[in-house]
Amino acid sequence: MDALLRCEGLERSFGRVQAVAGVSLAVAEGETYGLLGPNGAGKTTSISMIAGLLEPDAGQVVILGDRMTPRATAAKRHVGLVPQDLAIYPDLTARENLAFFARLYGLERARRDRRIDEVLEVIGLSERAGDRASTYSGGMKRRLNIGIGLLHAPRLLILDEPTVGVDPQSRNAILESVENLASVGMAVLYTTHYMEEAERLCDRIGIIDQGTLIAEGTRRELVATIAEQDLVRLKVVGDAAGAADACQALPGVGSADAEDDTVVCLLDEAASHLPALLEAVAATGASVAGVEVKEPDLEDVFLHLTGHALRD
Amino acid sequence: MLRAALTILRKDTRLRLRDRSVLLFAFVVPVALTLVFSLVFPQQDGFRLDAGVVDLDGGEVAGGFTEVLLPALADEGLVAVTRFPDEAAARSAIEDGEVSAAWLIPAGFTSQVTSGGGGELRLLVNPDHTLSAQVAQGIADGYGAGLDRISLAVATAATAGQGQLGPDVLEALAADAATAGVLVAVDDLVAPDRQLDPTSYLAAAMAIFFLFFTAAFGITGLLEERDQGTLARLQAAPIGILAVHLGKALGAFVLGLVSMLVLALASALVLGAPWGPASASGVVGVAILIVAAVLSSLGVMALVGSFARTAEQAGNLQAIVAMTLGLIGGVFVPVGGGVLGQLALASPHGWFLRGLGDLAGEQVWTAVLPAAAALVGFGVVTAVPGIVRTWRQTP
Repeated sequence: MDALLRCEGLERSFGRVQAVAGVSLAVAEGETYGLLGPNGAGKTTSISMIAGLLEPDAGQVVILGDRMTPRATAAKRHVGLVPQDLAIYPDLTARENLAFFARLYGLERARRDRRIDEVLEVIGLSERAGDRASTYSGGMKRRLNIGIGLLHAPRLLILDEPTVGVDPQSRNAILESVENLASVGMAVLYTTHYMEEAERLCDRIGIIDQGTLIAEGTRRELVATIAEQDLVRLKVVGDAAGAADACQALPGVGSADAEDDTVVCLLDEAASHLPALLEAVAATGASVAGVEVKEPDLEDVFLHLTGHALRD
Repeated sequence: MLRAALTILRKDTRLRLRDRSVLLFAFVVPVALTLVFSLVFPQQDGFRLDAGVVDLDGGEVAGGFTEVLLPALADEGLVAVTRFPDEAAARSAIEDGEVSAAWLIPAGFTSQVTSGGGGELRLLVNPDHTLSAQVAQGIADGYGAGLDRISLAVATAATAGQGQLGPDVLEALAADAATAGVLVAVDDLVAPDRQLDPTSYLAAAMAIFFLFFTAAFGITGLLEERDQGTLARLQAAPIGILAVHLGKALGAFVLGLVSMLVLALASALVLGAPWGPASASGVVGVAILIVAAVLSSLGVMALVGSFARTAEQAGNLQAIVAMTLGLIGGVFVPVGGGVLGQLALASPHGWFLRGLGDLAGEQVWTAVLPAAAALVGFGVVTAVPGIVRTWRQTP
């Protein structure tokens, strides 16, 4: 994998509190990498070091071969940052906000004007570009916040919990925007404590807790680390015990037990085995009145790895 | 770096122009307060003491007061004197408001003085006319100093066995005392730091007072960026944090400078109260003082701001310091000489006003250099630790 971003052994303390204790990760070109962890896990501190806001106590960050530090300029040109809190000027219009940051990133006038129009289109604020940001809804401000990070067409976009405190509609719009950016090849580093967002957006996920990256991989790889199987509950009309025996005989089914009128199966990849299960039950003369499938998720992985829930 | 700093300056200027509170502090309030104060308080350059004198002595020493000292003060335009035949008439005139004060020279005054026993010059005043009473007292004190010298001369002559002094000597001593009295009185009324006319003083005082608030707006810009989350964006941009600091400092400097220039022009053109002589030298002198004052305000406010963690905290601290320095510096009440005058020089405000006074007195721009140097000194001494502290607090 050609790493666009490479972090090695990042450490950072604030007084006696060690916020980050040895985080190493890599993000490839066009990859969406999720940093998943509860509040206070060290996500924002890690992001701050990766974006050049904080000097690491130890370790290093390299982006496209350029080392990132608070004084670095070359590495910073590759990165677009979307901070967790809104980072816009309320008394400037969306266009003025974008123009200001475009100048800071050294965009020449012609390119600047073109990029501002493009970004306004992407974040859906073209119609309100001349209005002061203070008059925008919360969702519009969030979108402008993201737009500023996109302005200079960075190779790596860092989004630090961009959906915190956002209404469901705006949240969905933000997630769609991130999906669109990833689809055009932009590398994205996305921190969140929402498991659903990480599962939806990220090619790979790093799980961070107490300043340490405790697991990393695709969703499937992470779930596999805890060796849990999917659980399928079939509500049966007819002979539940017979139906359970039929299910048990299928390949890939770990166990199938009858509980009253329900057959409870444990198996790998429920989605792919479900049709065969339904056919096996039907072959016994029983019929299925209801199906419930529960796959292990990142919440389970996190619980398994840390002993506490993601949102504790 | 300079390009990025100018970009930040441009953005901040746009934001400041949209922030009415800054415009109010920088431009509107100082002019409005100057107007109000100049209407409420009497114009001291038009001040004249309407006083009476009762000469029950008629001797030569009393004549020194009534015929030499008072006419000299009248020639200066400071006093208009009415003679009254007796104390009752003087009291009546005071009660009727015809005069604010009256000096009463008792019978035997000259002989008391010439015999070395000193003399008592009584003063009648209208207690409601505080300023007039103070001026009348000042004149009496000045003359009293002359009397002391005469008494001393008489006593010395007596001790040397020369007996009574001749009329020519007495006349010379009386004239001397009168002249000394004039000098003392005029100096009291036109002290070095009061050479600026009152409206100009008031306008300049209000301008530098609010300059410190204006500078505070600029200096707290970095904390505001931190509070609203945009500092992270600035730090993430490929410009270097020095450009951010430079941009903020430039913004504060330009805002302060423009504020002072506008107020100086408004004072001259709207209030008819220029801060300096109407000459090229005067303009240069005022300009030097303005630049020095802006630098001092930035330094002081940078140091104060470095002790705050939020823009609100900084604003509160800076307001306290600006108020205190303004009071010490004689912004609201001219402090004159003495201890208060010396204390005023512990404040940039005091130096600024003193510099304008020096310029008005000497009429050449070089007169402001000591005050300007003191102001720049204030700026440097406070800015260095302020910058170091702020730099250390920036990740």
